[in-house]
Amino acid sequence: MKTTWNRREFLQRTSAATLAALAAGAPMTSLVSGCRSKKPGQTDGSADTVILLWMAGGMAHTETFDPKRYTPFEKGMEGNRVLSTFKSVPTVLDGIHFSEGLESIGKVMDKGTLIRSYVAADLGHILHSRHQYHWHTCYEPPQTVAAPHIGAWIAKELGPKNPVIPAFIDIGQRFTVGEGEELKAFHTAGFLGNEFGPFFIPDPTQGLESVRPPVGMDAKRFERRNQLYNELISKGPFGEFGSDYQKESLKRSMEQAYMLLNSPEAKAFDLSTEPKETFDIYNTGRFGLGCLLARRLTEQGARFISVTTEYEPFMGWDTHENGHTRLEGMKKMIDGPVAQLIKDLDKTGHLDRTLIILASEFSRDMMVEGRPDAKVLEQVRQPDILSDLKFYGMHRHFTDGCSILMFGGGIKRGFVYGKTADERPCKTIEKPIKIEGIHQTIYHALGIAGDTHYEIEERPFYTTPDGKGQAVMELLA
Amino acid sequence: MTVLTESFWLWQFLGRLHPLIVHFPVSLLVVALVLELFGRIRKSADLKAGISALVWIGAISSVVAAALGLVLINQEEYGGETVSVHQWTGLATMALAIATVLALRANRLPLYRSLLFLTVGGVTVAGHYGALLTHGDDYLTSVLPFDKAPETPGPENPTFAFVNVSNQPLAPQQIEELTLQVRSIMAHNCYNCHSASKTKGELRLDKKELIFKGGKHGPIIVAGNPDKSELIRRITLPAGHKEAMPTKGKRLNEKEIELLTFWIKQGAPWPAGAEKSVYRVAALEPRTPQIPAGPAHLTNPVDRFVNVYFQQQKQSWKSPVDDRIYIRRVYLDVIGLLPSPEEVQAFVADNRPDKREVLVQSLLNRDEDYAQHWLTFWNDALRNDYSGTGYITGGRFDITKWLYNALKTNKPYNLFVKELISPNKESEGFVKGIKWRGTINASQRTEMQAAQNVAQVFLGLNLKCASCHDSFISDWKLADAYAFANIFADSTLEIHRCDKPTGKMADTKILFSQLGSISGKAPTEERLRQLADFLTQPKDGRLYRTLANRVWAQLMGRGIVEPVDAMDNVPWSQDLLDYLASDFTANGYDIKKLVYNILTSKTYQLPSVGIRDAGLITAQDFVFQGMVRRRLTAEQFADAVSKAFNPLYADSALVMKRLPEEIKKEIPFPRAALVKNDPFLTALGRPNRETVSTGRASQANLLQALELTNGTKFNESLKRGAEMWRQKYPSTDLLVRELYRKALNRDPQPKELALAEQALGKKPTVAGIQDLVWAITLHPEFQLIL
Repeated sequence: MKTTWNRREFLQRTSAATLAALAAGAPMTSLVSGCRSKKPGQTDGSADTVILLWMAGGMAHTETFDPKRYTPFEKGMEGNRVLSTFKSVPTVLDGIHFSEGLESIGKVMDKGTLIRSYVAADLGHILHSRHQYHWHTCYEPPQTVAAPHIGAWIAKELGPKNPVIPAFIDIGQRFTVGEGEELKAFHTAGFLGNEFGPFFIPDPTQGLESVRPPVGMDAKRFERRNQLYNELISKGPFGEFGSDYQKESLKRSMEQAYMLLNSPEAKAFDLSTEPKETFDIYNTGRFGLGCLLARRLTEQGARFISVTTEYEPFMGWDTHENGHTRLEGMKKMIDGPVAQLIKDLDKTGHLDRTLIILASEFSRDMMVEGRPDAKVLEQVRQPDILSDLKFYGMHRHFTDGCSILMFGGGIKRGFVYGKTADERPCKTIEKPIKIEGIHQTIYHALGIAGDTHYEIEERPFYTTPDGKGQAVMELLA
Repeated sequence: MTVLTESFWLWQFLGRLHPLIVHFPVSLLVVALVLELFGRIRKSADLKAGISALVWIGAISSVVAAALGLVLINQEEYGGETVSVHQWTGLATMALAIATVLALRANRLPLYRSLLFLTVGGVTVAGHYGALLTHGDDYLTSVLPFDKAPETPGPENPTFAFVNVSNQPLAPQQIEELTLQVRSIMAHNCYNCHSASKTKGELRLDKKELIFKGGKHGPIIVAGNPDKSELIRRITLPAGHKEAMPTKGKRLNEKEIELLTFWIKQGAPWPAGAEKSVYRVAALEPRTPQIPAGPAHLTNPVDRFVNVYFQQQKQSWKSPVDDRIYIRRVYLDVIGLLPSPEEVQAFVADNRPDKREVLVQSLLNRDEDYAQHWLTFWNDALRNDYSGTGYITGGRFDITKWLYNALKTNKPYNLFVKELISPNKESEGFVKGIKWRGTINASQRTEMQAAQNVAQVFLGLNLKCASCHDSFISDWKLADAYAFANIFADSTLEIHRCDKPTGKMADTKILFSQLGSISGKAPTEERLRQLADFLTQPKDGRLYRTLANRVWAQLMGRGIVEPVDAMDNVPWSQDLLDYLASDFTANGYDIKKLVYNILTSKTYQLPSVGIRDAGLITAQDFVFQGMVRRRLTAEQFADAVSKAFNPLYADSALVMKRLPEEIKKEIPFPRAALVKNDPFLTALGRPNRETVSTGRASQANLLQALELTNGTKFNESLKRGAEMWRQKYPSTDLLVRELYRKALNRDPQPKELALAEQALGKKPTVAGIQDLVWAITLHPEFQLIL
């Protein structure tokens, strides 16, 4: 017990504030909290920045970070014999192998943790958009209120790290592709309000466009325009209406935007200033350059960045056929840039307080749809006998064992967590971890209290459902 | 320091004399020391007799004060570090005071003086801690300019202090709040294993009697004694201990444990019938309050009610706003568009005394414009959108055509509601909900969505808690929510508690059974027809109050009840709300008439009020002074730019497949309400309509400012417009005047004209025009409804 409150103060603090806020449905932090000095329950944590590298479409663990017995393709082979369609290659960690094509990431695994036991939710039908919604918000859709993206929670709780860099940046996803609406449903700050929503950069090479004066406007004109704006306000008759929150917030936001668009940090968005040597390593396409942009923004003080390989039905990691062939390309897309991102941030010391997560909504398998004990509607035509190379690959959706990589921000270095079976079904057999655990570990690393929640429509809405997520302390150094 | 629930009054009385008596030793001893020092300086013994009297009385009173203090501490519920510091410094001071007296008596003067000095020090410290107890520990420092006060409690940073309070009995309201918190903690942490669905250890925590009854090992709560309460022991055991609770999932956090401990220490109060009496429930029946008398110039009943309210609040009527502000307001509120310069000019020049009424009526008669504006409000509320989740799999239906026509024809509200609840093909999208593929949470099945949305939108009632478990914020039970949802179900629903089946089948019942009973065996269509009929009866006052309040909030920036979805909250004027609802019913459920009545009132014509903080709008102690200043919605802003300068959207942006065919003939230009959501509108606040949304935040933010400052859509459109304007207005003077008239409905002031000319030169360039228009459309005067 700290201090004793007198009655008046007690009444003021509880009845007025609590009740008003409750009734108002206004977002509020922990009701059951005493007097907290800054943000409730926050600690310094071990990370300030989060980069989520999103393998959209379902990345097969057995073809990437958790390879099993390799069986080369033969016409007429039995599909059930195939666990991996690639050879395994050693990583820098003793006894830990990756699938061929991920050698560069394998070499930086001494800087991070490999989780081999992520278990995705059982949502009946396996659907990319629903599982992605679940991964990004920690809530299963649909919800009665709009659930915020993890990036929005972080933006809300911690704010921007550098005031001129938006707190939540989303790189690489376009919403004009299939299931765009389903993707929009979770790329949002939900009830937290637009303010905390994502700043979209669909194409990292166009990043600069979003943070510099409009096309065709030079710096001088931009400056003059802003000056004119301010003078029209100060010299016009509007002042007589006094001030209110809309006017003030408008002026403040306009100033912030002006600062951002004019700030030296904005140069971080300009990939053309990157030395050719490193630019080339990252340049495997939009994802790779997204990693480069993420690195540059991290160096300038970004808070949360998501870089995606982009979800588009039947594209990218969403292999319904030709899995083997297509994965060669996907690995090329990610291997160099991801490894380089880790190395670069490590070299500059940023990795110490930057938490990088590489994950996917679920894994894939050749034979099992869903999970072994709860098979669901088959959505992929996959013959038992492989008559053609195009059937050679992990084409079904598998939820019972997925791999996640985590680096930096207080995460153990050179650590492996969890295990999947070596024979089909290659499901998690040790230390299963669910999305609540992943989210809470991230929040914990950031110093965000586990019971963080807001009252929305008179009900508490927590960062993880009912605030029950537990950080997996074993992952943290 | 135990709680004596029934202590003898005299002890209590004496105990409470302590704060009075302590002032004697404090002041007497301090004065004694001052006089002693004074005497030493003056080298005079004149004061000696007086000083020794002071010391004697001071010492004796310190003994009395200490004794009373000990009585007080044992009588009432004190605890904490401050109390013990106060207690021990107080007792030490008493001892010092006695020693001082003894030294004085023994005439050992140097010792006496040192002791007196120490005593005064002690009394200061003890007194300080005593004051902290009564005044709070930041009583002094909080007023210092350099004190960074921890925080002001507000919606952003509420504080909850039960656990810190221990010196006073709780008021009934606080006990209710406390009980609510306790129930909430139990519900979220314990119900999984200890409620009706699962009863481990024969213990249930979901009902008062059962909590106090305990489990198979006996009672879990010893009222007043947390240390002996099994509940506290179990939740404080180290994680991993086999008796620790909860066994699975998250441990209770420190604050939750403190709160439960505090609750038990308070005697585990649970007011009789707490579940019934905690929550305010608004009357269901309509009520027609008598229109109060008032000054002759206040003819509109709205003003008469507000007049009474103003008298109670000791407020006076301010002068109505001028014509320019008024015409801009009503244009934006009725049809969502800015008036043209010609319309403004004609209105200002009009000399008829009833010109404001005439104007409002003429705007309300513009059926298409009206529908195109109010469509946005209803799209948000009815979760109707042109794109969104569910459409690709046929799991969602839009109701745009039906809605547009309903608004255009001003469909009476009772029919409007009926057709949404008991729908035809065109209006079924609302109750059909959004169906996602795969397994979904039981509380989100489409029947439950219908129940939740009908309750929220039409009745201002939150059923979302109760669709998962018995609500802790209202009296609604899980069974009520299921019975209501069952009306929408083709086959009887099984009740699920927190997504787990209970084996019990749902009843079929309307939320307010006094409205009628639904025949459970009838086919769905028939049940929906019954529900629609029952809910729209005139005796369902709640339905019409909810609507009246929503319309009021749209026009005045703040509801009579807030939040607008929580109609059980206290209105700032019950009479006004009841009047509007009953007048609405009497007028044939005519929304336009309701809008007319409000817009022509003197109340609406009051100057707008700026609010410092968005959170204050929904504060329950809000005092109405006039319309709360609003910001243009995304659609109003886009349309204002389109009309005053250059259309933001091309014809191709209209979502023709969802809109009525004739729409192209009915629009002045492609209005933002009729296009798909895009990053521009999202940034300006159009919600993603996956869930019901009944209000928009009007606070600006960085993402929005960025979109407006360098967003391609906006800037490209301004550029195209600038090219056209340059052709049309070759001279800067002419152009600026026209722009001000169109955008701000006034002439530029000389200073403004000079600024514009300075920026544009005599012959405007495209870039110059574009930048000037940009600056004006982002000007607060353009963005706000004054």
